[in-house]
Amino acid sequence: MLQLSNWICWSVVYVGSRPPCASKMNATRFLFHTRSLRLPLLCVGGLRNKSVSSGPIAVRQVLSSDHCARRCLCSKPVFSRDPSQSEESQDKPNKSLISYDDLFERAAVDSKNKATFSRVLDVFKNKDVRRRGHVEFIYVALKKMAEFGVERDLAVYNKLLDVFPKEVFIPRNFIQRMFNHYPRQQECGVQILEQMESYGVMPNVETKVLLIQIFGKKSHPIRKYQRLMYWFPRFKHVNPYPVPRELPQDPVDLARFSLHRIAADLNAKVTLYQMPSSDYSEDGSLVCQPYIVGIQSPDQREVLAKHRPDRPVFVEGPFPLWLRRTCVYYYVLRADPLPPEEKVEEPVDPERNFFYPLELDLDYDRDLGDDEDFDVDEEEGPVYAMCMTGSGDRDTLAKWISGLQETNPILGCTPTVFRLDSGPSEVQSCAVSDHPEIEDVLQGQKMAQ
Amino acid sequence: MAKVFSGVIRACALTHFRARALTVQVLGLQSLRGFRTQSASLAFAKDIFLGKINKAEAFPYPEISNEELEEISQLVAPVEKFFMEDVDSRKIDLEATIPPKTMTGLKELGLFGIQIPEEYGGLGLSNTMYARLGEITSMDGSIAVTLAAHQAIGLKGILIAGNDEQKSRYLPKLASGEHIAAFCLTEPGSGSDAASIQSRATLSEDKKYFVLNGSKIWISNGGFADIFTVFARTEVVDKDGKKMDKITAFLVERAFGGVTSGKPEDKLGIRGSNTTEVHFENTRVPVENVIGDVGGGFKVAMNILNSGRFSMGSASAGMIKRLIEMTAEYAGTRKQFGKKLEEFGLIQEKFAMMAQQAFVMESMAYLTAGMMDRPGMPDCSVEAAMVKVFSSEGAWMCVSEALQILGGLGYMKDYPYERYLRDSRILLIFEGTNEILRMFIALTGMQYAGKILTGKIKEMKKGNLGIFMEIFREKLWNSLSKKIDLGLAGPDGVVHPSLTDSAKKLEENVFYFGKTVDGLLYRFGKSIIDEQLVLKRVADVLINIYAMTAVLSRASRSITIGLRDHDHEVLLANTFCAQAHFQNNYRLAQLEKNSPENHDASIKKIAQQILERRTYVCSHPLDRSF
Repeated sequence: MLQLSNWICWSVVYVGSRPPCASKMNATRFLFHTRSLRLPLLCVGGLRNKSVSSGPIAVRQVLSSDHCARRCLCSKPVFSRDPSQSEESQDKPNKSLISYDDLFERAAVDSKNKATFSRVLDVFKNKDVRRRGHVEFIYVALKKMAEFGVERDLAVYNKLLDVFPKEVFIPRNFIQRMFNHYPRQQECGVQILEQMESYGVMPNVETKVLLIQIFGKKSHPIRKYQRLMYWFPRFKHVNPYPVPRELPQDPVDLARFSLHRIAADLNAKVTLYQMPSSDYSEDGSLVCQPYIVGIQSPDQREVLAKHRPDRPVFVEGPFPLWLRRTCVYYYVLRADPLPPEEKVEEPVDPERNFFYPLELDLDYDRDLGDDEDFDVDEEEGPVYAMCMTGSGDRDTLAKWISGLQETNPILGCTPTVFRLDSGPSEVQSCAVSDHPEIEDVLQGQKMAQ
Repeated sequence: MAKVFSGVIRACALTHFRARALTVQVLGLQSLRGFRTQSASLAFAKDIFLGKINKAEAFPYPEISNEELEEISQLVAPVEKFFMEDVDSRKIDLEATIPPKTMTGLKELGLFGIQIPEEYGGLGLSNTMYARLGEITSMDGSIAVTLAAHQAIGLKGILIAGNDEQKSRYLPKLASGEHIAAFCLTEPGSGSDAASIQSRATLSEDKKYFVLNGSKIWISNGGFADIFTVFARTEVVDKDGKKMDKITAFLVERAFGGVTSGKPEDKLGIRGSNTTEVHFENTRVPVENVIGDVGGGFKVAMNILNSGRFSMGSASAGMIKRLIEMTAEYAGTRKQFGKKLEEFGLIQEKFAMMAQQAFVMESMAYLTAGMMDRPGMPDCSVEAAMVKVFSSEGAWMCVSEALQILGGLGYMKDYPYERYLRDSRILLIFEGTNEILRMFIALTGMQYAGKILTGKIKEMKKGNLGIFMEIFREKLWNSLSKKIDLGLAGPDGVVHPSLTDSAKKLEENVFYFGKTVDGLLYRFGKSIIDEQLVLKRVADVLINIYAMTAVLSRASRSITIGLRDHDHEVLLANTFCAQAHFQNNYRLAQLEKNSPENHDASIKKIAQQILERRTYVCSHPLDRSF
């Protein structure tokens, strides 16, 4: 008998694939357990009690594991609670769904914010010790989070996880461990983490502790958590040109920010050519002055000063610039590249450097093997300045050009051609999509390009 | 195999014994010839770029006649006495001014006209003797800089390019120190860029004078100078009748009017020297006061700058020699853990380093000065620049190590060491920063070598089989024979047999340096001008080669004529050559294509990423991402 139980113990140990040293310690304790139980139960009980390993909570665990084992054996319907699958289980969740939806609707009457959302969670938690229907409730809550503006709030997610009853879903033996234990609950837990992921919310230690308390150390939600914690920090700073989550509200500030972003030159200076204002003119009609914000770097000014006045400069736009879910439009002042035959290379002044020659008088060039330059076939013309404005009509842009003339006198004698596309020129916000974070990443890539 | 080797070695040893006797003869002969052969285009440094050593120029070590030696000793003694007794460097540093009494003393000693010919009332000393005096004047950095600003650059324009009338008019008063000169080149834009010169001189309608307007900054002696060498733009009509702005050098007296000086700048070191802004407002400069030709100021400026640098070597050496005395005294008396400081290896190392640096600097400085003293105004600008770079960096290193020997004491203002440290920092910056001079050194040689190699490389790129075969044969021969002989050592050599190993090392470096330059020119062509990290290594190797040549030449001479303590010189020379040889080999390896020792690409990338954002890029080590 003793040998038999011993054998069972070892086989359990190996099937359960626990670390060998820990299992040896458990083996003796386990032996003691099986012997103290009644013989007929040996097989089932042995399997069941395998996880009874550490002292103080052992008794409780034995009790609850009994309970869950029973559920496991007879819980076919629980497994397939998917509404589409079984007719008999379809009614219940639907009903409850409506009622939970109601819960949020009622709470949302006064205001939709974090406080009311938390209150709903509290109400649900305190209503019933057994937390009946918590999975359905959590799914509804997840959907409602964006509505209540708490979709990026880690504390709320943790609170939501707290709705799960603790320790009930932790597998107690190797069979449970091998099969998907409480799959619906685990699936729901994973869903919470997925939503956190899509909103870019990084879990914290509290999340981990909750997940361990609810699902145990090797459950699917924990795996999901581990994967999140593996990738999230790595991707956190993947965009070298991060856009702040909160963009400036004032369009002038937003333009300032955007222009600095596209200019990518720390020397570039932003000039406010026209303040936005609205005034009543003499005949009583409303006259709106759109804002004009421009940017130009000293280098651009230098290149512009060398522009040949007989060749036109172009004002082009609007071009879109995406900042997270906001799209702004900008205009550029540029010229066509000089045709190759008209290019004159400025000779290096031999009397320029007092100390060493700036050019060697040798007539052979770099060897091909050391030439790492790219040949760019199509050269783009130089961009002299950029601007953003409240309205993209010709008159407004002409005001920008006349403002530029103060620092770039050459514009006064250069023909300026306006090549404007008709199109949206106002600051736009696109509809909130399902995967805002993915979109952000895409935008980041676009910008980096 | 081993037998063959030992046989070779024995044969070598035998020839060495014979060579010793021979070398003495050769040296004697050459020292005669050395002073007779007068080439206006000395090209020692340039020849190195071709992998050749121009023996005749560096060997034997230049010497001065007994009469000159007598003369200089008579001059040095009172100057030394004056500096020891009448110059209070601490006070000069604290009060940031040289007291009038000291200035008068300097004038009485004739130190304001060291190189002005005797016919104009100066001392008329050669470059070598000027260098010797520089050793003494460097006892006080402020005075050394004041004197250098006066005569190494301030009045050099008159000496180099001035006409007789200008010389007789200005030099006597400048020689006596009644007038003090200053050199006005730098403008707020930037120092080395002629394009930044905004000062303008306009010819008056009667064509008798120029009207000068403009501001100059950081002018040494600017506060009290009476004669300024000023560079300004003038309108010049060139051959095709086109009007151009060119730089012209003017001699401007303060008495011309319209000259104002700003307040003296507060500086880190050489605080006693007077550095100010100088403004010219409608100053009327007579046309006779143009130095050289109108529009020829650029050449004048370059020549002045190039000629003023060589003395820094002897000055730094003089300073280090004094530092060695002072710190050795300390190390010999101070006890730590029951042992004298001088018994610690780490302290001994510092003394060896200082002595070696001083020895090399001195050798380079006097070799260069001797070259410059040869008749025909030889162009030694590259050599002078090498002396400046080597000695300024050596001085900074040595002063720092001296301070280290003294520990906390060196840091205290009660002792002169921290002043030496502050004073010596400027050496790396002024008269052309070391970075700029490295470019000058490397590019001058590259231009020279490039010209000569152009034909060869062109033919090769065209696919001329003959040249290709010739180079191939040469390469094959070199790889097989493995013997590099440029004729320094051996029976016909110029180096003393006890320095043969070092001479061989030098030859090897020169040979491979020539090969490397060849390869670099082939690889980069004229775009090598943009490869500053490559050029820096080229310059460093060349400086080391020149330094090795100088010490070998000097030590050979010392042994041959039996100077006191020449065994110490041999020790220093051999040690230095071994170290420099190693450094050179490493740098030459770095210069090879796809060399694993070369990290230039990464270095550039790091810098680019930092400069793109103008900040230190890394996250703080305590930052977290989760």
